[in-house]
Amino acid sequence: MVVTPDIVDRPAVNPTARTHPTRRLRELKTALTGWSFIGPATVIIVGLSIFPAGWALVLSLQDWDGFSPATFVGARNYQQLLTDADFGNAVLNTVGYTLMFVPASVLLGLFLAVALNRRIRFIGFYRTAIFVPFVASAASTGILSTYLFSPQFGLVNNVLRVVHLPQPGWLDNPHQAMLVVVIMSLWGGAAFTTVIYLAALQDVPPDLIEAALVDGANRWQTFWRVVWPQLLPVTIFVVIWQMIQAIQLFDLVYTTTRGGPLDATTTIVYFLYDKAFHSLQFGYGSAAAYVLFAATLLITTGVVVYSRRRGSEDI
Amino acid sequence: MSTLSRRAVLALAAGAGAASVAGCSRGSASTGPLDVKAKTTIEVWSGQSDAAQKKMEALATKFQQKHSNVTVNLSPGASSTDQLLQKLSAGFAGNEYPDVSYAFGSWAGQLEASGRTLDIADKVKKPDVKWSEFTAAARGTAQPGGEKVIGFPAVVDNVGLLYNKTLFDKAGLDYPTDAWSWDDFKAAAKKLTDSANHIYGYGYSVSGSEETTWQFWPHLWQNGGSIFTADGKKAAFASDAGTKALTFLRSMAVDDKSVYLDQTDTKFGQLFVSNRIAMITSGPWQLSDLKTGGTKYGVVRLPGTNGDHQTVSGPDIWALFDHHDKNRAHWAYEFARWLTAPGQDEQFNVAIGNLPLRTSEASSSAVKKEAKSYPGYEVFVANSDNVKNTRPTTKNYATLSTEIGKAISAVLQGQGDPGPALADAAKKTDSQIAN
Repeated sequence: MVVTPDIVDRPAVNPTARTHPTRRLRELKTALTGWSFIGPATVIIVGLSIFPAGWALVLSLQDWDGFSPATFVGARNYQQLLTDADFGNAVLNTVGYTLMFVPASVLLGLFLAVALNRRIRFIGFYRTAIFVPFVASAASTGILSTYLFSPQFGLVNNVLRVVHLPQPGWLDNPHQAMLVVVIMSLWGGAAFTTVIYLAALQDVPPDLIEAALVDGANRWQTFWRVVWPQLLPVTIFVVIWQMIQAIQLFDLVYTTTRGGPLDATTTIVYFLYDKAFHSLQFGYGSAAAYVLFAATLLITTGVVVYSRRRGSEDI
Repeated sequence: MSTLSRRAVLALAAGAGAASVAGCSRGSASTGPLDVKAKTTIEVWSGQSDAAQKKMEALATKFQQKHSNVTVNLSPGASSTDQLLQKLSAGFAGNEYPDVSYAFGSWAGQLEASGRTLDIADKVKKPDVKWSEFTAAARGTAQPGGEKVIGFPAVVDNVGLLYNKTLFDKAGLDYPTDAWSWDDFKAAAKKLTDSANHIYGYGYSVSGSEETTWQFWPHLWQNGGSIFTADGKKAAFASDAGTKALTFLRSMAVDDKSVYLDQTDTKFGQLFVSNRIAMITSGPWQLSDLKTGGTKYGVVRLPGTNGDHQTVSGPDIWALFDHHDKNRAHWAYEFARWLTAPGQDEQFNVAIGNLPLRTSEASSSAVKKEAKSYPGYEVFVANSDNVKNTRPTTKNYATLSTEIGKAISAVLQGQGDPGPALADAAKKTDSQIAN
């Protein structure tokens, strides 16, 4: 703002450049307009993402309980993570969950999308019904699953009891709890992939399919030889996206098992939450967060590079 | 973290995310000598909501009427009591913290370590404070390091045995008595369990949280064990007493299968209300749920070991903070003292269903009235006498609690043996404390 009088004054000093001031004024106006558009978002991103991320990096090099003065410990938190059996367990759980959740949600989404990509009655209703779980918050999904999968009083085991089948321990059994978490997250997760695939399927040019059919391909061949290659870029996007979601699993665990039974569902994010906000080891928790960040970055870069090499950079 | 306050907050605050957080007082800092006539504003974070907050507001207004130069800026401080710790931590970082704040007992050590608390050790020695009327556990919580007194007790509680009369009648068993030993308890739990119909004799949280841990302390103490060594620097629970205590619980959970192992901290209470669990060990905060649920129940003190029926208490405090302002320090202290005096305590703690803070209130008419509407309340009041040991509130306790909580929940779910599991937890605690 203080620049304005300066600009207005200038013509008197430099009469040769008559057109200059208006152009500069216009440029300034454009710049101001631009900044006023991105300003609020920039403030929010710097204030709520970049600043905390920087602060967490500093924290991860400190030993701090939130009250006493922090002490600088260098890389000790990171070294400690390497030998921490609980962190190792959390990493294993997260990897296990990712390996179950990502392929299952992609395949299920693809299947549902193909099933919903046709002209039948009430298709709008079916599509809505599939998508609703994605809109439901993970917290409510979690609470719902504790009602469904309670070994003694849950709906699932009551049904199994009626039909005289064995009733598993579900959320109370260390070997099955993660499976329940996968099932419940698929409920919302597959809804997301379905919608993405549905949109992609509708982008497949119908004349390609017609041509294939005219050439004598059956429906199965048409799908795998014509439609599926068209879906590849979307598949890569969906895999990356679901993987990031899977690695950051927290809310469902928090509302169902709180990491139990016997740490069977403690994921990396739950681990760092527990360290930072229950044990008040903010430094240690931040270090775990940075390890997670590095892993996510590596995976994403890896998948993008791989897919570019295969020539599908248009994701 | 005291379960009482957490539960009380859950009950009272359900859904009330209200609690807009007022900025801290920015009253002019006076660095001069104490002037009790000067206009002073103190900031109080109550950690309460709904009915309890209303009672606090009424009391704050009364205090202001008594002292016209003092303004009490009362707010809940955070959306729930357990959020207060983070708010305080952030407040310290930004130099904007209250004069008085509600605090869970387990935070006392950390608050003291922050260096922002007042030390009222000399003031509470004055006879008119009647400091000794508070239970030893409550006094100990307000004095986490053993020297500085950082505030006044705010809420006290203890754990007793609640039994479900419907299930006892169904099984044709006599109700528990004051004289019960843990063996009586175990035998009854086994008889009450009906696995086909999913009815359990007892419920125990295996979430590994403080709920898992503090329920274990009466067993440890009754067997003659202790939590820390005398200097408070090493875990002492991995002893014969500890092994004995955990072996007992394991025999119920694993051998008799008479225990509902709760993965959360809240389900066993609900199952007791709905006649699925016959006995739970819990505190006075459970009573309002039982009344709402129409459960037929009774309360006795905890079963004993060789006649020792001691229990555990998780007191919370009103922490007082230093702003290097003598007037504010004075009025913060005076407000907390006045609030915890018998007359006001009846209007706050007793009125909202908490136990009275002071022994002198035990026979008051307010307590009698409360006992009438909540049967069993009087048992908990009397049970305060069975609080012999103080649950530690030092910084090291948080570490210890996590480690032993894990060990207990693993053993009760059939993994590992009591002795080695406790020894391992003690080792881990010690190495973390030494770091």
